[in-house]
Amino acid sequence: MQGGFAGRILHVDLSRRKVGTWPLASNLAESFIGGLGLSFRLAHDYITPGTDPLAPENPVVIGAGPLVGTDLPSTSRIYAVTKLPTSGTIGWCGAGGVTFGCLFKNAGYDHLIIEGRADRPVYLNIVDDRVEILDAQKLWGKGVSETCETLWDEVSGPAGVLAIGPAGENRVSFSLAYIDRSATMGRGGFGAVLGAKNLKAIMVRGTKGVGVADRKTYKRLKTDFLQTIQSYPYLKEWQDMGMLKAFPMVPPETYKKIKKRRLACISCPVGCKDVVEIADGPHKGLVAYSSSAINLLTPLMYGFKDYRDAVKLIAELDEYGMDMFEFFGVAALAAKLGEHGSIQGINIALDDLNAMMEWAEKISFRKGLGDVMADGFSGMINAYGDAAKTYAPALVKNMHPYTGPGSALPWDLFGTMELGQILDLRGPHVGSGGSPTYFAKRPLEVFPKHLKRMGVPEAAISRILPESDESKQLNVGILLKYSHQWFSILGSLGVCARGQINRFYNAGLCADFYKAVTGIPTDLDELSLRADRVWNLYKLLNVREGVDRSRESIPDQWVQAPGFKEYVSETPISRDEILRMIKDYYREQGWDFETGYPSPETLSRLGLESLG
Amino acid sequence: MAGYDIITLEENCTGCLRCQLACSYLYTGLFNPSAARIQVRFSGTGCAIDFTDECNHCGVCADSCFYDALKKVKREDDE
Ligand code: SF4
Ligand code: SF4
Ligand code: SF4
Repeated sequence: MQGGFAGRILHVDLSRRKVGTWPLASNLAESFIGGLGLSFRLAHDYITPGTDPLAPENPVVIGAGPLVGTDLPSTSRIYAVTKLPTSGTIGWCGAGGVTFGCLFKNAGYDHLIIEGRADRPVYLNIVDDRVEILDAQKLWGKGVSETCETLWDEVSGPAGVLAIGPAGENRVSFSLAYIDRSATMGRGGFGAVLGAKNLKAIMVRGTKGVGVADRKTYKRLKTDFLQTIQSYPYLKEWQDMGMLKAFPMVPPETYKKIKKRRLACISCPVGCKDVVEIADGPHKGLVAYSSSAINLLTPLMYGFKDYRDAVKLIAELDEYGMDMFEFFGVAALAAKLGEHGSIQGINIALDDLNAMMEWAEKISFRKGLGDVMADGFSGMINAYGDAAKTYAPALVKNMHPYTGPGSALPWDLFGTMELGQILDLRGPHVGSGGSPTYFAKRPLEVFPKHLKRMGVPEAAISRILPESDESKQLNVGILLKYSHQWFSILGSLGVCARGQINRFYNAGLCADFYKAVTGIPTDLDELSLRADRVWNLYKLLNVREGVDRSRESIPDQWVQAPGFKEYVSETPISRDEILRMIKDYYREQGWDFETGYPSPETLSRLGLESLG
Repeated sequence: MAGYDIITLEENCTGCLRCQLACSYLYTGLFNPSAARIQVRFSGTGCAIDFTDECNHCGVCADSCFYDALKKVKREDDE
């Protein structure tokens, strides 16, 4: 392979303590782009249908795309594909890879496949060709930051670390993995999958370098592209404020008081990650690393009064390694069951730091009621039956969506992220797929520009934005199909999908970069076709697991007051309207709405017959 | 030979390593942060930026920094 790809797959069998490598087949790389797409393809070979997500047989496939390790902006992204415990579906987990992806590529690998279960806690130490399965007894029970720091202290020079906290070790259904202690990965229990393998961490260092096939074209394309970013009028503001620019949860003065440093994943000119330090009060001196300061402030949305308490709690959840939305959702449900007498003798004050710290610990270590809460909403429903169902928030694939009635974020317009909560097979997550409907309401006039950028064909643009006599409309179902295609492109290349950076990319440029870096002939049409193949294979992986349309049910709360609102008219949305969007999505994908399968014509167009 | 002093403003550094990517690509033909003549290290909340003896003061690392953590100043003896 000429450039971009390291050309090797690393395979680790934890049960047999065996490590092997083999070459990446170039025809596979070409057909599935790389990164996310190739991870789905490898997962198809390695996942045996019907596997229990927490069984040793459930493999984890990690991938870094062909642009990861280059200096194209924000090409830091890593993905994992595995069967996730909360949804029971095969899902993707993604993270802005900080240094991990680049160093993994520099060690000489594109993918890592982990199988089996170690007989005691271990971590993987990857240094170029040397791959060791080492004892992690000393790390077990430690928090995420502490784990990263302990490993960093043992080596000189930069090392990428993917680690889980006690929540993952104890298989909490909403535990996450963390990269370099500041990026989160895998809502839906990726932490638990690693914990069930007794795998505490993966540390990677590499010195082999990542090459470019066509250096001249690369330079030309990159120079123009960097200039576009440099001249973006809001760049400085994004760099200074990060996600607080989009969600001003605290006044800028408050943020400035705690802001210690902004962090960026490798190659990223925007840098949305944060290091904060509490300047005064009882938590004075507390340092927290986060995927974003807004995460650290989320408890304010649940009634916390003091931002410093909010930071303290989230820093603690990050140490345990668990998802804050699910944590608050499950705690709120337990509180209601307490109020209504289904659970005796508990008092869960969602707005109280000490109370929530106590519950975080009980859940992470599965103490008392924490043991039930650790199994998430389905654990609570199993234990408390109809009462839990009555008081549970809107659930999609057993998880709590970020937006919508009863969710943390007060966003109630129904766009692609909202429909995507149902139609992405992994369940609710925060990925936007780069669609313009993400959070800020934009006028329909600006949509064509964004849609062209995402590589949506002209004919589809007129279906997404149909003109009628009375009003302009937006077809969210068809738009979601192309959002998934755009996301497949970004994910497979290794470009960060966050809005603040993917706004600079366009699909044609992605094809040009891919061709220049890898030397694989690619134009926009070919890249779009391969991206479709990637998303269809994701569907097929789940069809093979028996995941059918019954898993796409619409929560009642979404269509009852206060409910979601239609994106353009802002009138309450009905179940029928959402159902129509799902049908539109299926039709645009070439999937059969009745059976839930990709049609034979679609599979043949994509050359996926043999995998269907 | 033209050259620059590179002034480091470590408080602005985000660890994006664009400087290390640029330096290694220029001098080794590969993106390889370990081969760069500039090395950025984080420890706690602090950051240290150092140059190896091989650094020839070309200034390319500073050109690639988006965060004003590296500034190049033309050396006087080049006038
Ligand atoms: S935008 Fe944020 S998550 Fe994405 S690459 Fe940059 S720092 Fe990482
Ligand atoms: S390019 Fe600038 S911000 Fe990025 S690591 Fe180097 S000095 Fe720091
Ligand atoms: S000045 Fe030139 S040689 Fe020195 S570190 Fe920067 S890019 Fe490398």
